[in-house]
Amino acid sequence: MSSKLNKFLLALISLIYMNNLLAHHVLGRPSYSLGEDSTTPPSMQVETQIGQYFVTYMVFPAFPKAGQNGRVNLYATHMSSGKAFNGEVTFKVKDDKWFGAKTEILGKQKIDDGVYRQGFVFRQDGDYIISAFFIADGEPYNIDFPLRVGQTSAIGPIGLTVLAVFALLIIVNIIQRKRLLRGKIQAAAQEKS
Amino acid sequence: MTMTHPGLPALWVNLIWLFMLLVSLWVLFSRVPERSEHRYLLMSKIPLLGRLVHFLNASPWPLQLMKLLMVGVFLIVIYAGLQGTQIPERNLSTVMTWNLWWAGLVIAVFFTGSAWCAVCPWDALATWLVRRRLWRRAVPNNSLNLKVPKWMRNVWPALLMFMALTWFELGVGVTNDPYATSILALLMLVMAIVFLSVFENKAFCHYVCPVGRTVGYYAQLAPVELRPINTDICANCTTLECYHGSDTIEPCPTHLVMGTLQQNTFCTSCGNCVQSCPDNNVSWRLRSQSVEVRQDARPRWDEAWFMLGLLTLTSFHGITMLPFWYEGISQFGSWIGDSGRLLTSFSLGMLFIMFAPIAVYALLVFWAKKWMGDRARFTQVFSVLAFASLPLAFSYHIAHNLNHLVRESTDLIALFSNPLGTDTQPLGMMEKHERHLNMIISQDTLFWLQAGLMLFGFWLAMQVIRYRGYALFAEKKLWVIPIIIFAIAIHGFDLWILSQPMTMRM
Repeated sequence: MSSKLNKFLLALISLIYMNNLLAHHVLGRPSYSLGEDSTTPPSMQVETQIGQYFVTYMVFPAFPKAGQNGRVNLYATHMSSGKAFNGEVTFKVKDDKWFGAKTEILGKQKIDDGVYRQGFVFRQDGDYIISAFFIADGEPYNIDFPLRVGQTSAIGPIGLTVLAVFALLIIVNIIQRKRLLRGKIQAAAQEKS
Repeated sequence: MTMTHPGLPALWVNLIWLFMLLVSLWVLFSRVPERSEHRYLLMSKIPLLGRLVHFLNASPWPLQLMKLLMVGVFLIVIYAGLQGTQIPERNLSTVMTWNLWWAGLVIAVFFTGSAWCAVCPWDALATWLVRRRLWRRAVPNNSLNLKVPKWMRNVWPALLMFMALTWFELGVGVTNDPYATSILALLMLVMAIVFLSVFENKAFCHYVCPVGRTVGYYAQLAPVELRPINTDICANCTTLECYHGSDTIEPCPTHLVMGTLQQNTFCTSCGNCVQSCPDNNVSWRLRSQSVEVRQDARPRWDEAWFMLGLLTLTSFHGITMLPFWYEGISQFGSWIGDSGRLLTSFSLGMLFIMFAPIAVYALLVFWAKKWMGDRARFTQVFSVLAFASLPLAFSYHIAHNLNHLVRESTDLIALFSNPLGTDTQPLGMMEKHERHLNMIISQDTLFWLQAGLMLFGFWLAMQVIRYRGYALFAEKKLWVIPIIIFAIAIHGFDLWILSQPMTMRM
């Protein structure tokens, strides 16, 4: 009886322990000290659908800083067969701006345990776009993924708003002054006549 | 892993269904109601509340102070979104905007009508910048004062803006993006300033602002109104300070004349009329929540579309938070060859869910109109009966928002003490569970409130059908059957959504 009880308790403890492991894995939530090579660093995950593939992109850490090692993981599975894409993925990076964005190749990666992994280190804070490119079934696939490194300045949008508002207020003011002046001139002309 | 909120229990759902069927039958067999007298209670006569109302109205400063407070919060929200962490549940910008303000706003309308518009930070900032005055009337008012083009003098722009807001919120996912939330808020501010600088009075509030119009239409169901105390004084008034303003007080921002005012829709609760009336003849009063929507409000074609749009887009909000929504859109995307963030699929889905019920409504109106013959035009029947959609939309909207407000807005002390979310980590699954366990009110109370709201909304809709429908159909009771079918179908569908597990927003 006591051996059965022991076995039961052991099984129960194992189950509890396994649940913890599973939960920890499913959560993907970090310990603060874990690095980018850990299985559970803080990550940002984006799921997208492109052509015949479901693509999942994960960035480690979720909010990288300049000079800090980071990594992009890409999973691509075929929508109908559910099989992982097996080929080569080229990772590129460019500045996230409208004009004059230079593109650099980060690397070309083969599949490793169902995942394409690409490491990165950014020298400067800023907004970037990481692109993953691959060819499957003769079709080219290109996935863009925005990435912010460090803190970007809030002055951009606020400055633009302030500038636009002041430009508008000045224009309105000029038009209004001209109107008033025209009114005064017309009134004076009427008085004369 | 996605976490969901439990839906309304089956017992409540069945009871509401029973209530809906019984009330529908009662509408068909009850006597035709007569236009009821407008009963009200002056708030200034109520003990304590009267003093508060007097304090708020006697001087412009209480309102200005509230505006200052709102503008301060607004600026912090903007800064937090642009400069703080991009973890949505840790940034004041997203939590304040979407979980507290947007969810709580509709609930606030239930009690205070369009009071939000009086302290709206977009309008306050725009007014201060353009008029260059804190509150007194500016002469000249520093605006080009152009008349709003005739084609824009309706609520179609507001409906388009509301659709765009829904698209950004649910399609682009602004609710989970502090940066984009701040940009959206700045964009609204710029629009408010542009309209105030170019057009006379407050054209943005009147015709364009999706928040103001949503609040305005829902305010038809509010228990408060700003009205003349004695209509005879208004009838004999020749100066119309409420409309034109006085030497120190701005005119009514939305061109309303107090003597003829019958609906809250375009009243921004700014209190200019209270301040400017030389006879002190304007006051807040309490009233029945159904009186405006069932008899006082004037039907208009564009406004009917806005109310129906509110109804269907509110249901759409609920649908997108059901766990199978993403799978459905993903499947649809693969059929039509959509890729990336599936925005085309989302947009088509949104348009379908928005317009399909309106098309069904139009068909049912057409059916009722066929019975009527030439007694009324199609547009007239369409516009009049659309008022029934307002309580249906309002009740479901509040019931849905209560879920967000009650279940997702805990741990606010931590959020307000670190509004930028500096050095925070994403919300862990354990914390999400804790939120479920530490709700602001108990789950049973939440279900009571949600069920009560759904009952109340349907009851009001039936009142609208009784009063407006029978007046329109010359007391022929069977002719209201199509619109009763519509109300049961749409409210039943909303009830079903409410009974489903709902995906947590953040």
